[in-house]
Amino acid sequence: MSGFDVRAALERELGPDRLSEAVGAPAAFAVQPGDGGALASTLRILGEARARAQVRGRGTHDELGNGPVEVDALLSTRGLCGIEELDTQDGVVRVRAGTSLAELAEAVTPHGWELPLGAPGSASVGGTLASAAIGPRRLGQGPPRDCVLGLDVVLTTGEQTRCGGRVVKNVTGFDLAKLYTGSFGALGVIEAAWLRLSPLPETVAVRVASLAAGSDPMDTAIDAARRPTARCAALLDRSIAERIGISATSDAALLVEFAGSEPAVREDERWLCGRCAAAPVAGDVVDALAGAQRRALPDGGARARVGLLPSACGRAAQALRASGAHLIVHAGVGLVYAEWSEAGESVAAVEQVAAQAHGEARFELLPADLKRGRDVFGVGTDTRARVELMRSLKQRFDPAGVLNPGRCLGRL
Amino acid sequence: MERLTRRLRSIVGDASCLARDEELFVYQCDGLTLEGTRPLAVVLPERTDQVQAIVRACLEAGVPFVPRGAGTGLSGGAHPVPGSVLIECSRMDRILEINVADRVAVVQPGLVNAELSEAVRRHGLFYAPDPSSQQVCTIGGNVAENSGGPHTLKYGTTTNHVLAVELVLPNGEVVRLGSRTGSAEGFDLVGPIVGSEGTLGIVTEATLRLSPIPESVETLLAIFPDVVSACHAVGEVIGGGLVPAALEIVDQRTIRAVEDSVYAAGLPRDAGAILIAELDGARCELPPQVERVREAAERCGASRVQVAADEQERTLFWRARKGAFGAMGRLAPDLYVHDAVVPRAKLPEVLEAVCAIGDRHGLKLSNVFHAGDGNLHPNISFDRRDPDELARVLQAGREILETCVRAGGVITGEHGVGVEKLDYMKLVFDDDDLLPMIHLRAAFDPDRVCNPGKVIPTTRFCVESNPKARGYDRVPL
Repeated sequence: MSGFDVRAALERELGPDRLSEAVGAPAAFAVQPGDGGALASTLRILGEARARAQVRGRGTHDELGNGPVEVDALLSTRGLCGIEELDTQDGVVRVRAGTSLAELAEAVTPHGWELPLGAPGSASVGGTLASAAIGPRRLGQGPPRDCVLGLDVVLTTGEQTRCGGRVVKNVTGFDLAKLYTGSFGALGVIEAAWLRLSPLPETVAVRVASLAAGSDPMDTAIDAARRPTARCAALLDRSIAERIGISATSDAALLVEFAGSEPAVREDERWLCGRCAAAPVAGDVVDALAGAQRRALPDGGARARVGLLPSACGRAAQALRASGAHLIVHAGVGLVYAEWSEAGESVAAVEQVAAQAHGEARFELLPADLKRGRDVFGVGTDTRARVELMRSLKQRFDPAGVLNPGRCLGRL
Repeated sequence: MERLTRRLRSIVGDASCLARDEELFVYQCDGLTLEGTRPLAVVLPERTDQVQAIVRACLEAGVPFVPRGAGTGLSGGAHPVPGSVLIECSRMDRILEINVADRVAVVQPGLVNAELSEAVRRHGLFYAPDPSSQQVCTIGGNVAENSGGPHTLKYGTTTNHVLAVELVLPNGEVVRLGSRTGSAEGFDLVGPIVGSEGTLGIVTEATLRLSPIPESVETLLAIFPDVVSACHAVGEVIGGGLVPAALEIVDQRTIRAVEDSVYAAGLPRDAGAILIAELDGARCELPPQVERVREAAERCGASRVQVAADEQERTLFWRARKGAFGAMGRLAPDLYVHDAVVPRAKLPEVLEAVCAIGDRHGLKLSNVFHAGDGNLHPNISFDRRDPDELARVLQAGREILETCVRAGGVITGEHGVGVEKLDYMKLVFDDDDLLPMIHLRAAFDPDRVCNPGKVIPTTRFCVESNPKARGYDRVPL
């Protein structure tokens, strides 16, 4: 089937109003199914035609991953919107993939719950889960996999499948929800999800610490992250601190958010103030940090995320700074965000740091010339064994190679 | 077969390869004792390279193999399949590394769960998953079953604490998956391995997350006129935004069995149910939380709410919960421990329905369960020598699971599917839902040689996609 025939077949199946020109993607056309059945038909047609599709929620994470690769179709999940069930007693919600996190948060917050996902409010639920996107509150929220109870996923062979469920404890069959979460849509398209919510904290307090000369800022950051109510503990290079409105008096600033019961938060604040001079700041500074962590960079810039053990963060930070990087270090969870205004030394530096520390790194932004022919995931790590298993999974789940070709680790 | 046995002996030594009938007898089942099959042989490796060599020997001989930890599983996940070699990992029991600074431990799969917490306690750390069998069950078995326990309400199940694994694949290759940093790139392959019941390979090393021992713990015991009121109290506590470390309910029949046994905790025999609520965290935050739980319990009809004054009293409260299964031995020779999960809000109505099922079949049914998770454990005490009673037990079991699924729940929360619940998988999943599970299984074990016949029921896909599956892809119960 030619690209033209595929489009015609989709128009016949879904109706012409579900197809349009693709905007902002190297695709011949865009298709937006309006329900699970239409999504299944779309994928079956694409699979039978061995057509290639880029899956997009709200486009928030478009820049992540290998590629872009030219595709036949841009498959949008924006037509799959809405909250299907909110259980305010159990704190679980069933939501369709194209729903934005902001819309979901607005629905659950009045009932005393919050969504433990750190992607921006404009992101879709499906895109957030598919990319396992995290934000600056990863310390307190945990990884996205922890809040996914069940998923409805459509395969390119047309099956509408379910895994997991709505209950918080479940070993009925393999835990496929974890496999899909973070798989960048390479195995199937998420149609809906059951998510576990967290109780809204009684109190939230945000402080910025000026770190005293002579003390080890990384030790302070790790200790702060290990306080019972710490939800974010980020060590920011001065340039990044200033960008989000924090005037740093030293080379680095420590931004800490405590969230929990009133007495525990106050106790942790007292602890922090005893350790260093820590002034209260508005809570939206953490949201500003979320923006800084994923901001667009000038042409030629690069940003990497390096996963390390907490104890390795100090040395890694030194090496990355030496290559010209500006850093955001979440030492408690072993994550370093490094950005370079000029990508020049970035690849070599990240490869070296990840390899030396037995860490795992990815480039979230990289100039096109450096990105070409390179795997942006698993930098500095021997990923051959896992890529072989991933390939085997990809061949079975998506035998026609329809979904997000070449995007995830191994350029699968 | 003799050739294979000779080969296995050459790998692990004569003393670590069991093949005589009387030696094999105890390995014919795990904690699901309703039925069993003797394996061809049992091997007890101590190292990864031995596991690898065993797997390769089995592959060459065309013999399936089944991994096993301590055999405490309750769904038959470690049951040998006919003509299989059982690879018992309990001698791979070393702690390979404790990294206090990064709160990570690397262990072999045969390490007993409780021994890890014991080993790291002096560093102010513990390993959070605490299945009731934690004094004997192994980490490898916990990984295979994604084991839970009373404190998973706050801390999560095994899957939330496994960072990476070393795995001997069913083709004999050794791979390392995941990352000790917790941020492995690519598909999350550790996620589906945890809870895969040993069907995707044999875990020979696990890298685990350790948690800080909380500064303070408060344990409450609330006495209710009936189990339904206790369930309402659980709903109030969770709905009120508290996340206790544990919320456990014990019903009247169990209380009486416990009080008649060596586990007696001084509970009133006329209590309809007890709720044990445990809160942990910073010392300064617990008093108001204790009051909130007390008020919720009293609002829901608790006649007495007691807060443990010290560690001794706390242990006594937990005795009623932890001694329950042992005490059941007083009621009948056999015990069938069920495991299902329902949405918490449905607990009261499901509990009533479960009790009615027990009564209708004239069975001694009792309930001890993780109420905070909605994880029911209806226990049926019976005598397997009575075929009529056994038939009623099995029928009641099916009806209980059907009731839970109708309420929006699932057929197992922590014991696994194993062989016990293969037939019930279709209550939850249809053929389309099972297809990705079959794909996953086939990606790791295309020839279905590793613990075949577990987790996934036979479907049209299995037979169509792999004729080799015929012959040993089901174990009859």
